[in-house]
Amino acid sequence: MSSSSGNIPDEREGEIPREWREEFEAAASRPLSLRMRYAFIRTYKPVLDDALFRSWNSTAEYREWCEEYLPAWLGYGRV
Amino acid sequence: MGAFEYRQAEEIRQTFARHAIRYLFLGKSGAILLGFPDTTQDADVFLERTSENCSALAIALQELGFSLDPAQICEIERGKDFIQLKNGPFDLDIIFAPDGIERFEDAWRRRVEVEGFPVCHLDDIIASKAATNRQKDRESLPRLRAFRNWWMARQSR
Repeated sequence: MSSSSGNIPDEREGEIPREWREEFEAAASRPLSLRMRYAFIRTYKPVLDDALFRSWNSTAEYREWCEEYLPAWLGYGRV
Repeated sequence: MGAFEYRQAEEIRQTFARHAIRYLFLGKSGAILLGFPDTTQDADVFLERTSENCSALAIALQELGFSLDPAQICEIERGKDFIQLKNGPFDLDIIFAPDGIERFEDAWRRRVEVEGFPVCHLDDIIASKAATNRQKDRESLPRLRAFRNWWMARQSR
């Protein structure tokens, strides 16, 4: 069911790749506290983690700030 | 500072409830609460922007251990659209105006409760990520949409 680009399966309505379905079912069998332990990770993100408090008047300003100041590889830039 | 833990989510739930704060978990942290198996670094909460809610939030955050100076408290009380906190026991993004969700009230009506945690419906989480259109969201959206379909089918059983 993979797309021609390789790793990303088709996402047609109702068609869920078997591998993903198995992951969803496995996660559902775990208690929330355990799911959270697996899900929340901590790694240093340059620039983003270098200030203790930041705020923006608008979400659009925040997006622009991310594009201007964060390294592109962090993935915060808009497509 | 370590990663966000279940115990800290419980502290948010208890503290916000004590102050009658109207909020919803949003973003990937919200999806994770709903069962989405993936990884993220911080918690995102979407808050109703009323003066009572914003004032209560500033107090609650300090009770949770966030170190806020008077200027920062003022910005929270004003309900600035997007506030990033890294000055407490865990990283927290405070969002008053997420992309892709028109009104808090609509998202509140569609919310899902998981162990007492109010979470945006997956359709709202997906709408928000799709509207943001960031590279990292674009990569995670196919799997999140598949999870939404699986989760909806499971809910209807």
